[in-house]
Amino acid sequence: MAKVALFVPCYMAALRPDDGGHARRVLERLGDEVQTILGPCCGQPAFNSGYRSEAKSVGRALLRAARGHETIVVPSGSCASMVKHYLPGLWAGPRGASIERMSERFVEFGAYVAAHPNVAALPLRLPGAVTYHDSCHGRRELGLTEGAVGLLEQVEGLDVRRLAYEDECCGFGGTFTVKEPEVSVAMARAKLEDVASRGVRVLVSGDLSCLAHLEATARATDQSLETWTLAELLDRALA
Amino acid sequence: MSPFRARARAEIEAGPPAATLSPILRKLVADSRDQLSTASPSDARARAQAARAYAVDHLDELQEQLKESCARQGIGYHRAATAEEAVALVTQLLGDARRIAKSKSMVAEEVGLTHALRVRGKEVLETDIGEYIVDIEGRGPSHITAPALHLNRARIRELLAGAGEDVPDDDPVRLSRAVRDVVAEFFGEVDAGITGANAVIANSGRIVIVENEGNVSLGVSRPRLHIAITGMEKVVADEEAALAVLQVLAPSATAQPLTAYTHFLGAPDEGQERHLVVVDNGRSEILADERYRDVLRCIRCGACMNACPVYTAAGGLSYGSPYMGPIGAVVSPLLWRDGRHADLPSASSLCGRCSEVCPVGIPLHRMLLDLRAGEAENGGSRVEKVAWKSWAAAFAGRQGRAASWLARLGLRAGGRLPGLPISGSRPIPAANPPRDPAMLVPLDSIEPEPERAGEPLPEDVVSAFRERASVVGAVVVDEAEREDGDRRVRATAAVASTGSVLLAGEAAARGALMDARRIVVEVDEASVVRFPQELGPALAGDGDALILTGASRTADIEKQIVRGIHGPQALVVVVGSGTAQA
Ligand code: SF4
Repeated sequence: MAKVALFVPCYMAALRPDDGGHARRVLERLGDEVQTILGPCCGQPAFNSGYRSEAKSVGRALLRAARGHETIVVPSGSCASMVKHYLPGLWAGPRGASIERMSERFVEFGAYVAAHPNVAALPLRLPGAVTYHDSCHGRRELGLTEGAVGLLEQVEGLDVRRLAYEDECCGFGGTFTVKEPEVSVAMARAKLEDVASRGVRVLVSGDLSCLAHLEATARATDQSLETWTLAELLDRALA
Repeated sequence: MSPFRARARAEIEAGPPAATLSPILRKLVADSRDQLSTASPSDARARAQAARAYAVDHLDELQEQLKESCARQGIGYHRAATAEEAVALVTQLLGDARRIAKSKSMVAEEVGLTHALRVRGKEVLETDIGEYIVDIEGRGPSHITAPALHLNRARIRELLAGAGEDVPDDDPVRLSRAVRDVVAEFFGEVDAGITGANAVIANSGRIVIVENEGNVSLGVSRPRLHIAITGMEKVVADEEAALAVLQVLAPSATAQPLTAYTHFLGAPDEGQERHLVVVDNGRSEILADERYRDVLRCIRCGACMNACPVYTAAGGLSYGSPYMGPIGAVVSPLLWRDGRHADLPSASSLCGRCSEVCPVGIPLHRMLLDLRAGEAENGGSRVEKVAWKSWAAAFAGRQGRAASWLARLGLRAGGRLPGLPISGSRPIPAANPPRDPAMLVPLDSIEPEPERAGEPLPEDVVSAFRERASVVGAVVVDEAEREDGDRRVRATAAVASTGSVLLAGEAAARGALMDARRIVVEVDEASVVRFPQELGPALAGDGDALILTGASRTADIEKQIVRGIHGPQALVVVVGSGTAQA
């Protein structure tokens, strides 16, 4: 039985805290002992806006909270990529190198589950049809796509329909959606059209941030849509 | 509201740019990917990146060498430190030349050359079909390789009518030919040609220009004076490096294996003058800054904007700069240091698709992050600074405070996200959404997408060459009867993967080629190579050379291909084995 920490990122804790619970239950069904770190932030919003010293002090608090854990599972490709690829660069010299080593202990939820020794034994079953959305950071910086899709395809009875333009961004981009709302929404609508063209109404992703953005846009344009995190889908498929 | 946002909002409200752009760009991105995977060797991008990285790392040295090579070729070599100097130099070189045929050049756009020359009383015609159209429209190009991409055929017809060119319908063939005729007539009497350059080769002094329509062929051969204007970063070490760049340029830009004409211009013809104007205009400053110097590798292919979802949604004009899309968001604030483009680095969701497609490996989205950090330090709004400070204070401390910070933010936003043109804002989704089992039931079944697979290249280079040459629009035969108006030449080499032929020396003389009705090129089977990168030996020396890949064409209107613009309407390739041909 592995001991892992589950880092529930700030916006998940605020927007949809149940998703942390879903992730936790899946990890427990894999036989892990889970300790939750609820609500810190990886620093990405400030970092992406150019406010690096602010990002650094917030990132430092996360690393402090993660201290002592061998494996920290993050149910977000975006936060995991921030911690692994950008956070260490905020410290110069040997301090940066030691933070880089520490950042290697962070692993994205879908990737962790897909590589888990007990994954094949999970009794996953959920009749229905869904489509899958990648977060750009998960896809391009961490290469998570095949792992996540592989998990979905492992679910008995589930028809997984790939998007026609799977590698296009949904338009969230953190503060981008606040600074450039019209363009951000235009991008979301292109993504939602692709979803609708698959003939499904449940959209699954490793990243709640993309999902919240898409769901908000779907509601405002009267598109019938449920957005599920990968953790929620796996948890429901286990029930 | 940032200027980008204001412009993008107006564009989206006036009719979403994506309606025109999205289908075109999605197809282009997929076709480019296929083209790169079939027409180029697997290491094509790595080679191009290495060639450009070497050039950037040895820029001063290569410019020195280029200067000497130009002297050998009899090409005037001139440096311009600023946009103003570039305009002054070109004006001086033009002397009393009055009618000027200009072809596409991003640097000319950057320094405002056309406008400046007109103000000085010159008659300048944009001879590229897309440039001609946006010149009449007066809002500037919306894409670096397809300037009129934002205009649909109906609007183009209106614009042409406004300029006195009535076209009976909005068929892209007729529209393109109408512009072609205006341009062809202008070339009847022209004093000077101004072109850009896609690369300049340090060791030979050759100027490399790619084009599809034949307007560059005319512009560098008809008038007695040719001026090429280019950014100082466009230099490459040698022919090998130029070929490495060419091998990825057209596939990335237009999903073509190579453009219809690829010029390697050497010494000017008898009685002709040729000058090269090398523009700095802020590039030295970029070169000196480690964070951004690699952006000078850029070959202006436009692949990053083709792939950019922000560009697709906002359209190129929203950037308010001659350089748009991801490359524009990086390079505009670096070239214009007065802050006029300081908002562009924020016009990105940082999805990274640009960096993924860039054929020379520029980490565009990481540069955007650095630019944002620079802006936050030196500029940046006070309100935003204060907001991030308070955010950091909340999240760096105890978690209870972070939660209350988020709650406050939620309250202030009224529980809504900004940004929907129709309803003003969007509701933040519920924290514990109810789930309806019926939602898992699919609405309909869908056909799986057919697998896209580019045709693999036949193993045998001669059959591969025959096949690809016909794909790009050449007529491939074993024998050709002589016809009136033929220009018969012998190829120095041919390329299988692109279906191209290389003409050198007298065979490349553009005057004779452009006057012909047909070009008949004899290709010796033994001279066929697999990829453009193998043309190095055939390009030895510093003479004039020209690679032909199909006949002239344009895709400037809605990316619809129209064949047969300027010059010969057909390219006939006669394939045979050596001496039997002569
Ligand atoms: S940045 Fe890269 S993709 Fe964009 S235009 Fe330049 S070379 Fe092409």
